Amino acid sequence: MTQPMTQPMTQPTPDEGWQRLDARMLLVHPVKVLRQFLVPAVIGIVGVRSSSGDWPLWMLPVAGVGAVLIGSLPWLTTRFRITDTQFQLHSGLVNKTQLTAPLDRIRSVDLESSLLHRLLGLAKVEIGTGVDDTRINLDALAAPQSQELRRVLLARRSAALAEDPADDAVRLQDVLADGHPETVLVRIDWAWLRFAPFSLSRLAVVAGAVGVLSQFGDSLPFLDQDSLESGWNWVVGFAIWLVVLVALVAGALAWTAISVAGYALQWWDFVLAREPGRRPGQLGNLRLTAGLFTTRSTTVEEARIRGVELDEPVLLRVVGGAELSTLATGVGESGVTKVLPPCPVEVATGVGGALLEDDAPLRLPLVPHGPAARRRCHVREQWGTLVFTAAAIAATAVLDLGWWLPVLVFALCAVTGALTAEAEYAHLGHAMTRGHLVAGSGSWTRTRTALEIEGVIGWVVQQNLFQRRAGLATLVATTAAGAEKVVVRDVPERLGVALANAATPGLLSPFLDQDR
Amino acid sequence: MSSRPAIDAALREPAHQVSPRAIGYWRVGAGINLTFWVVAAIVWYLLSPHPWWAVLIAVAVVAVSAAYAVVMPTLRYRIHRWEVTPDAIFTRSGWLSREQRIAPLNRVQTVDSHQGALMRVFGLSSITITTASAAGPISIDCLDHEVARRVVGELTEITSAAEGDAT
Repeated sequence: MTQPMTQPMTQPTPDEGWQRLDARMLLVHPVKVLRQFLVPAVIGIVGVRSSSGDWPLWMLPVAGVGAVLIGSLPWLTTRFRITDTQFQLHSGLVNKTQLTAPLDRIRSVDLESSLLHRLLGLAKVEIGTGVDDTRINLDALAAPQSQELRRVLLARRSAALAEDPADDAVRLQDVLADGHPETVLVRIDWAWLRFAPFSLSRLAVVAGAVGVLSQFGDSLPFLDQDSLESGWNWVVGFAIWLVVLVALVAGALAWTAISVAGYALQWWDFVLAREPGRRPGQLGNLRLTAGLFTTRSTTVEEARIRGVELDEPVLLRVVGGAELSTLATGVGESGVTKVLPPCPVEVATGVGGALLEDDAPLRLPLVPHGPAARRRCHVREQWGTLVFTAAAIAATAVLDLGWWLPVLVFALCAVTGALTAEAEYAHLGHAMTRGHLVAGSGSWTRTRTALEIEGVIGWVVQQNLFQRRAGLATLVATTAAGAEKVVVRDVPERLGVALANAATPGLLSPFLDQDR
Repeated sequence: MSSRPAIDAALREPAHQVSPRAIGYWRVGAGINLTFWVVAAIVWYLLSPHPWWAVLIAVAVVAVSAAYAVVMPTLRYRIHRWEVTPDAIFTRSGWLSREQRIAPLNRVQTVDSHQGALMRVFGLSSITITTASAAGPISIDCLDHEVARRVVGELTEITSAAEGDAT
């Protein structure tokens, strides 16, 4: 089945070499369609039932047949093939889509299998092209076929990029034959589970779930107003501190269990590996695989990786943990891909160093931006204090509250603001190594961004009124990778210009003031 | 200059100013804005009850708009400058805040020119140059129409000669 793909086609005729999705998708898609329509259907049925008292039983088989028909459409209408130069995809019944992507523009190939996919031995293939928003989805192929497709696409891409097209076919055979010896950069270490409770990114999900559950809370029989009030009075009368303590401990325990379980599910069997390029010295691909129930496999061409970002959220930093992302061009929405689970900061810097092929950018001490920048951090953070204190004074005047309220608000905000500002200044800084521009930022989360100088597309020097008076500027390196820019905030103006000039020597020199 | 890597450097001004007619264009724009606020304030004053503090706010809004119309155009004309070399484009914009942008021409992806209805009255055009970075578009506002056309022509010629996909 995979054989036709590996043979380079010389003259593709319009009807040759087309392939379909895996036939097992005929089982998956109808289930998916049913699931999508389940909620509206239940609401509809309940609505009909309560209004007329009749249960439209005939709806059931109609819905089933409909789901099967709609669900089999993707399989019937989707076809794809690989020609010498392009990946082509035809899909759709009424709105026909014909998508072609040049092979040399294919930058990443991701595989993903949900539990249902895995039971059936399938994998979803997602192909990233140069255009940020266009990602080609094939849902789904047989797992071995999808891996073969990934291999072929990435190998073809390098073949399409080769300077001499004459011996492409030969090279392609070499690539496919040598079995891709890959270097494993890092594997999951279950000792890292200790970082799970300190990573709050999953908290939003849990909060959402609690919110949904509380919707049902209303219909519980014992939760009416009276029993709540009497219970509350009993609790307050008894020992409020004990109740608070128990609630806190229970919450912490539940959070620990949930976060550890989530970490294990998401990062099960995590491997980050580097597949070498076709020739010595050529960049290859970076491949990440992980997941217990839903397995993901993300592949990014290393030549597209322009830098890395090391994040240390405040809780993780306390226990010595960190997260690492790569900044790449042409992969998905933001181009920022998390390549490590929360792990020891040493591991993150080590892997980051390996990806950048230089340890210095993530280890080098940053150049601080000086007292003026520190003052600006404090001024910026105290604006909130001003606003909240003014609001508190207004509230006190109008509602006749105690004088202690504005004082308390002022003290709390001022202290928090000062602490935040100090943290912000401590994380602020920049550095330059031979190949990378490094920027430090963040207040509670410490972020260090290292961008390959090759990836810098231009510079922006911004100064508002206050920055101009303080002799500071915000230097922005624009890039096509990651968040599209790297910001060095509040750097002394002349130092910032010198930094940009040192990074891209030819570019700025004609525009420099030569008098100094 | 010494061979030691400099830790101290400053950007000079870009060479060219935009068209002097830009002042008139900006002033007319600000004047329209001012007229809107004055009319709104008068209508409100006539139609609804007005405590003293609301009158104060209205007067402040009108005063700020008037000051903007008087001060902004000349200040902005002094700040807005641009320069195109065979290798790079360099602009400065803003009036209270300032922004200097530099992009190498071999990374430029598109060159657009734009002329609004009011700009046409003043014979002005704006140019926008985009690179592969969403953070990096550079625009030169309010060039003389002829100058804009010449610059677009030059830029298109230079950038179409560049190779690679500019990322």
